[in-house]
Amino acid sequence: MKSFLARLGESIIVILVVLVLNFFLFRIMPGDPLTGIVDPRFSPEAKQQLAAQWGLDRPMSEQFFVYAREMLSFRFGLSMMSGTPVWDELKNRVPNTVALLLPALILSAALGIATGVHAALHRGSGSERLVMLGGAVSFSFPSFFVQLLLLMCFSYLWPIFPLRGTTSVPPPEGFAALTDYIWHLALPLFSLVILGFGGFALYIRNMMVKAMGEDYILMARARGLPFRRVVWNHAFRGILPPVLTILLLSLPGVVSGAVITETVFSMNGVGRFLLEATNSHDYPAAGAAFFLLALLTVGCNLLADICYVLVDPRVRREGARE
Amino acid sequence: MTTANETKRSITLSDISVTYYGRASEVRAVRNCSLSVGKGDVVGLVGESGSGKSSILMAIPRLLPVGTKVTGSVMCDGEELTGMSERELNVRRWRRVALVPQGAMNSFTPHLSIERHITEALEHHLGISRTAGRARAAELMDIVDLQRGILTRYPHELSGGQKQRAALAVALACDPDFLLADEPTTALDVITQKEVLQTITRIVRERDMGLLLVTHDLPLAAGVCDTLLVMKDGCMVESGPAGDVAANPKHPYTKTLIEAIRYMETESSS
Amino acid sequence: MKNYISPVILAALVALAILGPGAFGLPDGTTAPPYSKPAWLDSSIASKVTIGVKSDISRGHVGASSNLEWDYSPPARVSITGTLDEGRLEWITPERAYLLADSPGELDLDARDIPFKKSLGISPFADMSKSLFPSRGTYKLSLAGGGDVVMTIEGGRWGILGTDHRGRDVTSLFIRGIRISLIVGIAATLIATILGVSLGLLSGYVGGLADSVIMRGVDVLLSIPTLPILMVLSGVWGKGLWNLVFILSIFSWMGTTRTIRAMTLTLRDASWVEGLRALGAKRSYIIFRHLVPEALPLLLANVALGVPGAILAEAGISFLGLSDPRLPSWGRMLHEAHTYGAFTSGAWWTILPAGLGISIICLVFMDIGRKLEELADPRLARAASIEARAEAGK
Repeated sequence: MKSFLARLGESIIVILVVLVLNFFLFRIMPGDPLTGIVDPRFSPEAKQQLAAQWGLDRPMSEQFFVYAREMLSFRFGLSMMSGTPVWDELKNRVPNTVALLLPALILSAALGIATGVHAALHRGSGSERLVMLGGAVSFSFPSFFVQLLLLMCFSYLWPIFPLRGTTSVPPPEGFAALTDYIWHLALPLFSLVILGFGGFALYIRNMMVKAMGEDYILMARARGLPFRRVVWNHAFRGILPPVLTILLLSLPGVVSGAVITETVFSMNGVGRFLLEATNSHDYPAAGAAFFLLALLTVGCNLLADICYVLVDPRVRREGARE
Repeated sequence: MTTANETKRSITLSDISVTYYGRASEVRAVRNCSLSVGKGDVVGLVGESGSGKSSILMAIPRLLPVGTKVTGSVMCDGEELTGMSERELNVRRWRRVALVPQGAMNSFTPHLSIERHITEALEHHLGISRTAGRARAAELMDIVDLQRGILTRYPHELSGGQKQRAALAVALACDPDFLLADEPTTALDVITQKEVLQTITRIVRERDMGLLLVTHDLPLAAGVCDTLLVMKDGCMVESGPAGDVAANPKHPYTKTLIEAIRYMETESSS
Repeated sequence: MKNYISPVILAALVALAILGPGAFGLPDGTTAPPYSKPAWLDSSIASKVTIGVKSDISRGHVGASSNLEWDYSPPARVSITGTLDEGRLEWITPERAYLLADSPGELDLDARDIPFKKSLGISPFADMSKSLFPSRGTYKLSLAGGGDVVMTIEGGRWGILGTDHRGRDVTSLFIRGIRISLIVGIAATLIATILGVSLGLLSGYVGGLADSVIMRGVDVLLSIPTLPILMVLSGVWGKGLWNLVFILSIFSWMGTTRTIRAMTLTLRDASWVEGLRALGAKRSYIIFRHLVPEALPLLLANVALGVPGAILAEAGISFLGLSDPRLPSWGRMLHEAHTYGAFTSGAWWTILPAGLGISIICLVFMDIGRKLEELADPRLARAASIEARAEAGK
């Protein structure tokens, strides 16, 4: 419990740091936040009025509190481009990003575990080569390059998947809407799995090779337990805590990947919203998207922590004692 | 098989050789050894480390590393184990032959409670449900002189002596005919060593099981075993009734083994 | 042999980066029609052909003509330049003749000019080069009168790797991209390493408040998605090469700090360090004469393993279009290919070289890093190097 509370405190610190970073990035940096949208020909009065609209004429400390309130209440203020509340634009995009990232993470972890364990048990086999290749792709191929290639192969040369978008235009009705959504999601999801599983697999393979050499595995075999049970309930279950750590460490990367993936496939998500907002110097919008992505990471981290506590009896017991 | 084999249950190894293959070398750890442990027998297998005694022991349930070559025959209750598939062997492991591991080994799966180690074996071999298995696990704790509270603990929460007794409890779970004990007391202090060993032999005798005790400590083995076998460099060099071998060793190697242990004991007690 | 592949590739890339595209006579800027195919790819497409006619009336010439054997599909671009003193300029195809010009003056005609198309009686929306080159056969540019005219026919084939959407030579862009990748990758990692080592030493050797502040900072930075921050920063701080290097380096020192801190902690308590202290050695002396040299080989490996991360991050930012458009980096090439419809033109040559370039340079650094790591510490477990790679891959 204590370790979990400590992690909770850490998460809150991360969120606070993100808040402060966000605030100062946009306000202390050279240039007026308004330069992006204010035409030089604007009269000083008009500029003043605009500054007042976004609260930029107040003292810095007051601005910070207004800003923090807006962020933490999920209102995020007004977009400088459209003048509408940022949340109105964001709220439709959050589910799209989650629908992309969560299955991608789960599938690549599952595939990574399956191939990694198989490779560890069958040294020198095809699956071991697959794991090595997947690892190389994960660590040295830029994601957007792999995605561009996939897009070229499966949307242009052999067009079985759509070239862009989250839904067809106009979106179909009823059940067809769901299949249409999945059809649009398939290639980006596939690309993330291809890019993500190799890292996990390589890591899991190495840990499994080590775990299978442990004394307690020999003893589990001596007890006449079926090999499957020895592999999964004894060896794999033993490396689950470090596997979760790796999963946890990869989360920021996965979220970063959303920006690129959504851009390559022109998907309507938080990541591309951030890119568009950054490109148009729409600071409240960019700040909000960044904050949401950070929040997503922190949330997933906490979730992984809870799993960690559930999975490792040593951590669990220490918690129970205190 | 003959009826004689069935009435007298035993593990019989004949003409066993074990060869390990390294990257460029091969090591014959055991050379043409034979031995037999009958039900009710307590047999000690003694030798210094590297003499091949553990290799013989692990060759019985066939748990040597992949790629190790074993020749000769391993008979268990009249069945030839050498040619059996892994699946057939799994049925016999632990039900017929259970292992009490080396004290220094981390022989427990770290994330499973002691109780789970026992119930898992019961579930798999005897089809006893997890809840029914708990009662049996508690009985086993009584048998090995451990508090029942130990059951819910995890391996890292146990002391060395507790671990060794718990390992014995796990070994007894399916009521096997034979126990193979590989240096069961090595990592323990002298007093605990004696206690644990006494518990093992007491249980073996009470239940009329067979015990093959592998150790480097000849006097210790002589104190509890009926028969002693002495191994050197992969070969059996001497065998006979325990008292005889200890009191009146024939082979010079046996003499040095006894002297070495005596020397160590006087050193540690002085 | 296998041991030399990576260094040789790296040396070749460095040589290419230093020499630059100019050394191979490769042009900068627009040189051929957009999305021209690589010259070796499709022999049914012509590369650049010029034919000219010249007739000087003052010397008594009455005309000139010039034949062209055309054995290709219609060209991508046709232009006619020069002067017509008097008479008619005709283009005779195997099927019919076109009157290109008949009034004296400077000529600057292009197959894309609508007035020109109209004067030839071709629909303004039709592809004129298809009308001018309807089939294979013998064509003739004929001048009856005086003048000096050159016809340039560009077939849509260019160089080793074709051209991009602006008609720039992809080979030339590729070579210039090497330079950006190497500079950004190595400079950012070096700065990050210096930062990481200093903070790691501070954290490990001084301990106390400095240690907890630095390690908290590491934890926080490691759990924030970096790419969004990098995006925002490069949007706010400007897009120059060195801005990018600086931004990348302040977000990639954390791994080094952790390693150095752990190392310092083990070394701090080592008996020989205690001995030095007992002999009255100053803290700075111990750090710079003993701890740093001890850590140096591993640090070199760390730099090599960190480079791919920086290169990938730079490529990502450029791919998102957040880099300086004047810097021809590989990420930028992919950005432009994605934005300006390389797919719909089937122009794979604008995608593959840049993408493979990034991948190869990353693999090379990774390989060199692993070798250095083994040299630095032969006992090093494989698992550790894999963690390092996981770190670099983020």
